[in-house]
Amino acid sequence: MVGQEIIAHGSHLPLPLMVLLLGGITMLLIGLLNERIKIPWLREAWMVIVATAALGSVYLLHQQLKTVPSKIIVLVLWGQSPPLGGCFEIDTLSIFMSGSITFLVFLVALYSINYMEKESRLTEFYTLVTFMAAGMTGIVMAGDFFTLFIFWELMSLSSYVLVAFLKESWGPIEAGFKYLLMSATAGAFLLLSMSFLYGMTGTLNFAQLAASLRGVPISPWLIVLFSALIIGFGVKSAIVPLHTWLPDAHPEAPSPISALLSGIVIETGLYAMTRVLFTIFEPSFFKLAIALLAVLTMTLANVMALLQNDIKRLLAYSSIAQIGYMLVGLAAGTAYGVMGLFLHILNHSLMKGMAFLSSGSIAHEAKTRDIRNLRGVGRMMPITSLTLFIALLGLGGVPGTNGFISKFILFNSAIGSGMTWLAVAGVLNSALSMAYYLRVMKTLIGSPDEGFKVNEVAPLMVAVTLVMAGLIVVLGLWPAPAISFATKASETLVNGLNTYIRAVLG
Amino acid sequence: MLPLTPFLVAVGLMLVIGLSCLMVKRDMVRLLIGVEILFNAANLCFIALSTQTPGYVDPFAHSVVMMAIVLDGTVIAVGLAMVLNVYKHYKTLDIRKLRRLKW
Repeated sequence: MVGQEIIAHGSHLPLPLMVLLLGGITMLLIGLLNERIKIPWLREAWMVIVATAALGSVYLLHQQLKTVPSKIIVLVLWGQSPPLGGCFEIDTLSIFMSGSITFLVFLVALYSINYMEKESRLTEFYTLVTFMAAGMTGIVMAGDFFTLFIFWELMSLSSYVLVAFLKESWGPIEAGFKYLLMSATAGAFLLLSMSFLYGMTGTLNFAQLAASLRGVPISPWLIVLFSALIIGFGVKSAIVPLHTWLPDAHPEAPSPISALLSGIVIETGLYAMTRVLFTIFEPSFFKLAIALLAVLTMTLANVMALLQNDIKRLLAYSSIAQIGYMLVGLAAGTAYGVMGLFLHILNHSLMKGMAFLSSGSIAHEAKTRDIRNLRGVGRMMPITSLTLFIALLGLGGVPGTNGFISKFILFNSAIGSGMTWLAVAGVLNSALSMAYYLRVMKTLIGSPDEGFKVNEVAPLMVAVTLVMAGLIVVLGLWPAPAISFATKASETLVNGLNTYIRAVLG
Repeated sequence: MLPLTPFLVAVGLMLVIGLSCLMVKRDMVRLLIGVEILFNAANLCFIALSTQTPGYVDPFAHSVVMMAIVLDGTVIAVGLAMVLNVYKHYKTLDIRKLRRLKW
């Protein structure tokens, strides 16, 4: 079609990435000002401004792309034109993902103002959060594997330090070291798979990889490459045999960081995996392997979550289960399934982000994370508990919340591609997951023990969770805009690959 | 053009050494060395494959490897900082003593 292949070229960083990187660097200076001249709330205000600016610049990019849905912006990085140098490629999918990322970062920035006020080293905290956001934005906009790897390591490094941020106690340190060791090993495997790709094709550009590797006959090297990719991306996105760092790292991090890690960082890993797998392989090649991993991931995570007494640990296992549901969409291999995957990423970032923020508020006030000691908190912190209930119902997939919509699409897509057993496993797992969500709710609204007293948290924290709860219900009752946006995003990935190749290679 | 097989065998051996180091060793610094060996296996694989275009050595792989060396250096630096903090809390470098987080 005429008018579909309009491409904008440029040679600068994408705007949101520029904002976040500059914001991260200036945060150090601002923090110095804050400490020396004692201007209160300067760092916090700057963090909120940077997050707002990033959100706004994603919107500007969206306006640029909106007129022509399959338009791709190619930004050249290293001076050479795309097949040789590194580049950024921004399509509707990148906008969708970076929109989810910057929106969650914005909400978490607002929430951390009150949550973190008693901690020291806040300058480092906000700098690392900004760089983690920059890393994720870079990953979703990367146009070649090498750029992806650089931003992958930027995101990983920031998240290692943020997990171990509260270094005065042993838990975060132990979890952080475990996370670092597993994730660094995965990074080495990612580099190895990059070297295989380079050896096969002589390039790392996604478009050229797609042009030269799609549809080649299956050889042993291709299977080695596939397993190295699964190990490399699977550790970050917590697919089950490789998930063991997550239930330690996510609960031990400060709650705003848990919300970011569970809400969007592991999903960014899944995004990178989806992008790379769809670019390199035909869906029929990886369908069965991903379907088996999906069933394994959701079943094991749901069973393990039943055994937990720590509320944040329970939510961490629930994150692994949600990754299992998302893999169902990848296993279906159709545009519809991938649409479900990305819609679930958006919905999960709201639901799990909010579940971690509200349970963080509760743990912050009650000074414990043990569910058995939280009996009756719901009567004393009504609004926070209400928002937590909405998040948990959404995670369980109750109709009326956005979790229901995206899960319905995911399981529907599994049936559509002839894997009814996968959809049945998913529905059974959803039912099983309600068991532990309902247990949390039952404990929270029980009658409190004698002398147990907590207060509602600061108004801003409550306001952030209320906004997210509102969005969950609104997107559950009126999902049309989100679905149409996610459909466009997945079409560019699954059906628009030829446009993508032509846009870059000219 | 150099023969490829000896290099790929070396890469495979380094992978085996790195992974077995991660599985067997108790000392945390040695675990980080194991990660470093894995990274260097990947780097060696890149360099070996870059010599395979007839006539010239592809400089692209070299630029990738330079950046990868910087990146894995930073990862190891953060890891060593964490090892210091672990030592402050546990007074040992034995990874098997870090068993308080379970399930």
